[in-house]
Amino acid sequence: MIERRWKRWLHFYIPLGVFILVTLFPFYWMLITAIRPDEELYRSWRAVNNAPFWTLSPTLDHVRDLLAKTTFPRWLWNTFFIALVSTLISLVCGLFAGYALARLRFPGAGLLGTGIFVTYLVPQTLLFIPLADIIRNFHLGNTPWALILTYPTFLIPFCTWLLMGYFKTIPKELEECARIDGATRFGAMARIIFPIAVPGILSAGIFAFTLSWNEFIYALVFLSSPERKTVPVGVVSELIRGDIYFWGQLMAGALLGSVPVALVYSFFVEYYVTGLTGSVKG
Amino acid sequence: MATDGMNRRQFIRVSGAAAAVTATGIEGIIAARQAPAYAQGTKLHIVRWVDFIPEADVELKRQAPEASKALGAEVTFEFINANDVQPRITAAIQSGAGADLFFMMYNWPQLYQSSLVDVSDVAGAVAKEQGGFYGVFEPSFRVGGKWLGMPHSIVGNAVAYRKSWFKEVGFEQFPDTWDGVRKAAAALKKKGRPWGQTLGHTFGDAPTWAYPLLWSFGGAETDKTGKKVALNSKGTVESIKWMQAFWKDGCDEGGLAWDDTNNNRAFHAGEISASLNGASIYIVAKRKKDQIKDDKGEPMFQDIDHALYPFKGGPGQYPLYFSNGHAVMKYSKNQKLAKDFLRWLHKKENFEKWFQVNEGYSVAAAKSWEKHGMWAKVDKPLKMFQTAARNTRIFGYAGPSTGKATEAFSKYIIVDMYAKAVQGMKAEDAVKWAAGELKKIYEG
Amino acid sequence: MKSSAAGGATGVEVALPHPSPTRAGRLTRVLDSERALAFMLLGPAVILLGVFIAYPFVMGIWLALSSTSVGNVGEYVGLRNFVKAWNDSIFQTAFRNTFVYTFWATIFKLALGMWLALLLNRHFRLKRIVRASMLLPFIIPTVLSTFAWRWMFDPTFSVLNWTLYQMGLIVTKLPFLSDGTYAMWCAIAINTWRGMPFFAITLLAGLQTISPELHEAAALDGANAWRRFRHVTWPLLKPVTLVVVVFSVIQTFSDFQLIYVLTGGGPANSTHLLATYAYQLGVASGLLGEGAAISLFMFPVLLLVVWLQLRYLRRMEGA
Repeated sequence: MIERRWKRWLHFYIPLGVFILVTLFPFYWMLITAIRPDEELYRSWRAVNNAPFWTLSPTLDHVRDLLAKTTFPRWLWNTFFIALVSTLISLVCGLFAGYALARLRFPGAGLLGTGIFVTYLVPQTLLFIPLADIIRNFHLGNTPWALILTYPTFLIPFCTWLLMGYFKTIPKELEECARIDGATRFGAMARIIFPIAVPGILSAGIFAFTLSWNEFIYALVFLSSPERKTVPVGVVSELIRGDIYFWGQLMAGALLGSVPVALVYSFFVEYYVTGLTGSVKG
Repeated sequence: MATDGMNRRQFIRVSGAAAAVTATGIEGIIAARQAPAYAQGTKLHIVRWVDFIPEADVELKRQAPEASKALGAEVTFEFINANDVQPRITAAIQSGAGADLFFMMYNWPQLYQSSLVDVSDVAGAVAKEQGGFYGVFEPSFRVGGKWLGMPHSIVGNAVAYRKSWFKEVGFEQFPDTWDGVRKAAAALKKKGRPWGQTLGHTFGDAPTWAYPLLWSFGGAETDKTGKKVALNSKGTVESIKWMQAFWKDGCDEGGLAWDDTNNNRAFHAGEISASLNGASIYIVAKRKKDQIKDDKGEPMFQDIDHALYPFKGGPGQYPLYFSNGHAVMKYSKNQKLAKDFLRWLHKKENFEKWFQVNEGYSVAAAKSWEKHGMWAKVDKPLKMFQTAARNTRIFGYAGPSTGKATEAFSKYIIVDMYAKAVQGMKAEDAVKWAAGELKKIYEG
Repeated sequence: MKSSAAGGATGVEVALPHPSPTRAGRLTRVLDSERALAFMLLGPAVILLGVFIAYPFVMGIWLALSSTSVGNVGEYVGLRNFVKAWNDSIFQTAFRNTFVYTFWATIFKLALGMWLALLLNRHFRLKRIVRASMLLPFIIPTVLSTFAWRWMFDPTFSVLNWTLYQMGLIVTKLPFLSDGTYAMWCAIAINTWRGMPFFAITLLAGLQTISPELHEAAALDGANAWRRFRHVTWPLLKPVTLVVVVFSVIQTFSDFQLIYVLTGGGPANSTHLLATYAYQLGVASGLLGEGAAISLFMFPVLLLVVWLQLRYLRRMEGA
């Protein structure tokens, strides 16, 4: 008995503990930095009373400054709105396209599937300059739509492929039964197949949402008003002043910028797992 | 965003109606009367870097409504991280839409020449009124005899150092020769107080160290034509050898990874004894004197002084500073307004306020500001910036500062030549490598 | 978006040769024709991708074949930009770095992600919270987390150096980002930190499809843990793994943000990747043509990787 417990520690608790430590330490570090008063930043690392792992006089000044002196709450809302809408668009497109590629027979299906996937390979650093031209032509510059419409370019391929895999795992018979009962193809798809695919849809959605949340170049180039920026761009472009970093605010921004998504994830993580379970089989 | 005619008319109608509802009596009428030249609702969008001195941006933001009132158009500043200005300019030019004025650094007007409006009329008038521009703007902002950028200011840099620490190792005065500096730094490093210098990929402190080092030992990227690489010279090799010795004996070797911010913080924490930087080390130390203290618990700024870089002992002393300004974009629909704005910005009484806030961190592009009363009032360590801008050069030397010079600059070839050498490459090989890369750029 | 979908549908309706008695009936028939339905369903995706990828992509290729620099429309120069890049020593470094970076980061992500997935697949208290928190690195915007890492690796103030020093493991500071080799491994470590959760969760999903009976049967046959993994788990996980690996390779190979923030490609180009170098050339030097050419170097490599993977998947499906 004792030996088995010892083994469980060696094979399970210790490795898991190390994983948790390594994964979460940077977040702890951000937190400490965000509540550390500035004078501790300017202290020698060899100072006697140096305590890098905690702070003796925590302060909320940086958080307050971040919220008061920048338009951080706006950035958060912008990022959320842009990520949400572009995710929804990509999901609808990916859902339809994924279904069509998985279930329907039509000429050029394989080619189109490959084509959609290949678009995922085109590097962003190549695209952003020609895209700026298109954004201008559509009069989308400095509007959230510039991002809402361009983010799907890297979200749709992923969603399509993930959902396509998922649809392939759903037995065809289900649909055929519905058809015999008089449902149209579209009806069968919308009422029978899509509900079954909800876990897959969720996982694709969550993944897409993360990618949008994370995007940097397009947001940097296509938006210009401070109050329209997204979190990554806003934080970087306004809290770095040439040769001075506002470390406290920067880290506060980083933390506050990831908390909302973290909450979403903690609700959906099990769905995410089961959703992928479906799609990865295919 | 520039609006087209249709939208503008609509906007006028809407804003007119809005004004009728919300106008606070007289003010509304005055505002309406004061806009003779531009349709109401016209906006002027200026993108600038985020200034190293936050108060400078605060001052510009404060001036924006004044400018709006004077020009009869809405003037808005956008401040972004210096690293992110270029992608914005590039995208704006390629798509033909974006801010009306962009901030220009170094020799950017050369790089973006085909997309910028000739502002010679504004520049000429300001130069005439304010004693002419410093020499560095001629090769960097003027293309084919036309001013494509409006010179605004120069961010000088200098070696910030700890007076008492230098004294402790026997240097009452800052040792102002290459040799003296190396010896002082070696003595300080032995006491655990090295010199801090970056050789990383960062646009400020690394090139402003490397290029002057090259020039002041007699090295140059090309000959006068700019078509033949002349890097591999005795002067260049000597400068590298000096750097290798200086690095090993006197520098914090972490500097290879530093960006423009690391030395500020290391200095303020008392980790390094000296560093090449803008005045921000001193100014921040002074403004945060309760937080930034020396080893005795005294405010650190009292122990900081500045010394001119590059040092003496070579054929000359030629610094590289940030030569800053603004350019009007060709695609802008408000070019005349943009020029009027520049005229307004450079009016003595307006520029003066911004100039004073900077306390010498940024000096004016025009020479007569050397005589401004502010210099009598600034702290002693900042006084050296009064005339520091006189001998500055721009990269590409001895040739013209073309787009090719920018390419060599943005590939960090000169910086990396030194970086490779201090990491163990032989001086001759480092020059050979850099000359080879330069040849592909200048002669290719 | 909605309008384009509707537009697609009307387009198909009009194209139908014979009229139908009722509108609803006509629509039903259209929707029942596989071809028409497929066109309708694919319409939105294809239009969006066509406008926002295909056109810029073609423009990008044109840029790469031209001498375009910022503000100047270039002329066709054939493959000159590619040749210039190929002979450029910085490009060669970046090219090599990109492979090293992608290879090792992927290996680590896969190995550690697999390990983590196996751990998370077991039952323990607080399982939900641990699973969710493991995803944090994946959620936080790369730019911001890289700043945090950069600070932890700070040449002067590194908390890691401090810890190692206090523990007596080092006497001088480790040059995390100031030595070329160290810097590359730091970048790989951060990429691994960021990408591992995605591997872990996806593999976890794969693990859950494997029925416990298989393991029990193998255990009864006397197979130890490693053999059970090798002969039961791994073969079943292979298809999932491939999909994840491919997505990860694509993202890692064209990674930009991490290096841009961490080192800017330094010291002395030792961490430059193709994407950061392309960006530097295109944006900082204004050489859009050459920048595009370097970006395009990534494309065939990625295509090859994906093609190999697809072929492998098809073969497995066929088997």
